[in-house]
Amino acid sequence: MEIFMDSLTKKYGKLTALNNINIDITGHGCVGLLGPNGAGKTTMLKLATNIIKPTSGKVEINNINVAMYPEKAMKYVGSLIEQPEFYPYLSGNEILEFTGKIKGIPKNDYLRDVKNLKDITNITEFVNRKTGTYSRGMKQRLALAVAILGGPEIVILDEPTFGLDPKGMYDIRELIKEISKEHLVLLSTHLIYEARELCDRAIIINRGNIGHDSKMDENKELLKITAENKIKIISNKIVNYTMDNDYIIIEKNKNFENYEVINDLLKEGLKIDYVEKYDNLENTYVSIINKEDSYK
Amino acid sequence: MSKLSTIYLQYIKNYYRSKSFYLMLFLIIVISVMMTYFSLKYVNDLPRFLGSTSLPPALKETLFYFLWTFVLANIPVFASVFFGSPALSSEIENKTAYYIFPLPINRYKLYIGKYLAAVTVTLIIIAIYTVFELGTLGFLFKNLPSIDFYYSLGLLVLFILSIMSITFMISAIFNKNTYAYISVFIIYYIVFEAGSLIIELLYKVTPTYLLNEAATIIDRVYMNINTTDFLAKPSISPAPFSDIVLAMLVMIIYLVISFIIGMFLFERKEVS
Repeated sequence: MEIFMDSLTKKYGKLTALNNINIDITGHGCVGLLGPNGAGKTTMLKLATNIIKPTSGKVEINNINVAMYPEKAMKYVGSLIEQPEFYPYLSGNEILEFTGKIKGIPKNDYLRDVKNLKDITNITEFVNRKTGTYSRGMKQRLALAVAILGGPEIVILDEPTFGLDPKGMYDIRELIKEISKEHLVLLSTHLIYEARELCDRAIIINRGNIGHDSKMDENKELLKITAENKIKIISNKIVNYTMDNDYIIIEKNKNFENYEVINDLLKEGLKIDYVEKYDNLENTYVSIINKEDSYK
Repeated sequence: MSKLSTIYLQYIKNYYRSKSFYLMLFLIIVISVMMTYFSLKYVNDLPRFLGSTSLPPALKETLFYFLWTFVLANIPVFASVFFGSPALSSEIENKTAYYIFPLPINRYKLYIGKYLAAVTVTLIIIAIYTVFELGTLGFLFKNLPSIDFYYSLGLLVLFILSIMSITFMISAIFNKNTYAYISVFIIYYIVFEAGSLIIELLYKVTPTYLLNEAATIIDRVYMNINTTDFLAKPSISPAPFSDIVLAMLVMIIYLVISFIIGMFLFERKEVS
């Protein structure tokens, strides 16, 4: 399973929505696509799902060019882009059945799949109703069921928790965790904590360019400590630390809990005023956005 | 092929459950009932309206078929506006494109499937009218329809294919249903109808290459009375075979060219 973007550029008139993007995503797991509104996240996903065509460059799904061979490429992909609507005079069941046929899912597999999906996405209650009567959340759940119907190798999700209540959000996140164990999930989200919780890799995109691309392990949770004094820290519970005038950023050994690290620091004589989690990903995100803004 | 039939059946389902279909159904039933009423009421008065004391029965029957078909020939335009105008633009405006475009199916199959579904529901509407027509005229004249009826029906189907193809092409241009509706009306009633009238009045030639002119063949197979053509002399004889061939050719050209352009536009359609 692979999504490969090669010199991918998309322009709308004079506006460059995506600028020479090169990404290679392989294997199972979840890749988070982060960025502010208008950064180019959805454009990227639209290009990967044949909703729009690139101005130049290409997207390949399992080595198949999406723009040139959409029917072949999309066989491997299930997607939920923006907030899709369905044909209002068809029921959820009819939409699922139609999708199953178009995806070429054998009838027995379809029946087994759809039963599970209805339970997982919680659509059983309203799936017989015409989709024109659905609320935003109901449509979102059905769209998710449509996306993962048939167990596609690659699942592309654009803000899948949008419009859902907290329980719905929780269910969907659990589902994404489950799917990403064996499938490749490309997840676009505004929410850094969502990306942190679900993804193994984070790509930050801003103004059509990739600002940051790293494995989530590299975006460890760190501790930010404000202290009255400064000491030389020596502890086997700490891997690394940086100190400036205002605070100390500590990268702790994963085998230890936060309180154990803090206990050590107190024992060593550090007069701690305040401790908080330091989100490296969030800071990277903010610095990229700010940097771009300062160029304006 | 199976994907195409799946698409076709899906869109048929969505069409026949839509408000547009029921509105067209209502209109066609009202028109059919009115035509039936007028046929039954004025069957013996028709010669008087034409300034004659009597007409030969065969001519009277042909005249009634002509009148029924004259009304029928206008219905595909309305049906194409109802079913064709929003067909592709609605995928963008209603955001169903986000669902349908990423599915593993080529867009030309979506286009063809939806086009065939729109043609089918139009034929259903036409069939209802035709049943009224055959019932009423069969009851009045106690005869089976002549061969002209089948010619007329065949030409009508060709006209439906053609006008629906043009409508789909226009729908593929726009992202808003309203623009598509308005454009279809403008093209048919201003570009074709008014254009035809202006060309005839100014240049004294019949623009046989316009689709509305070609469509007059649908009723002219009974009697060569072209209500849109001031230059032609009306005749109670059927239109000559050469006129039928020419009209068919014009309709086929419109059908093929607009179909190719429409499919090309839809293939490049973007949801932005």
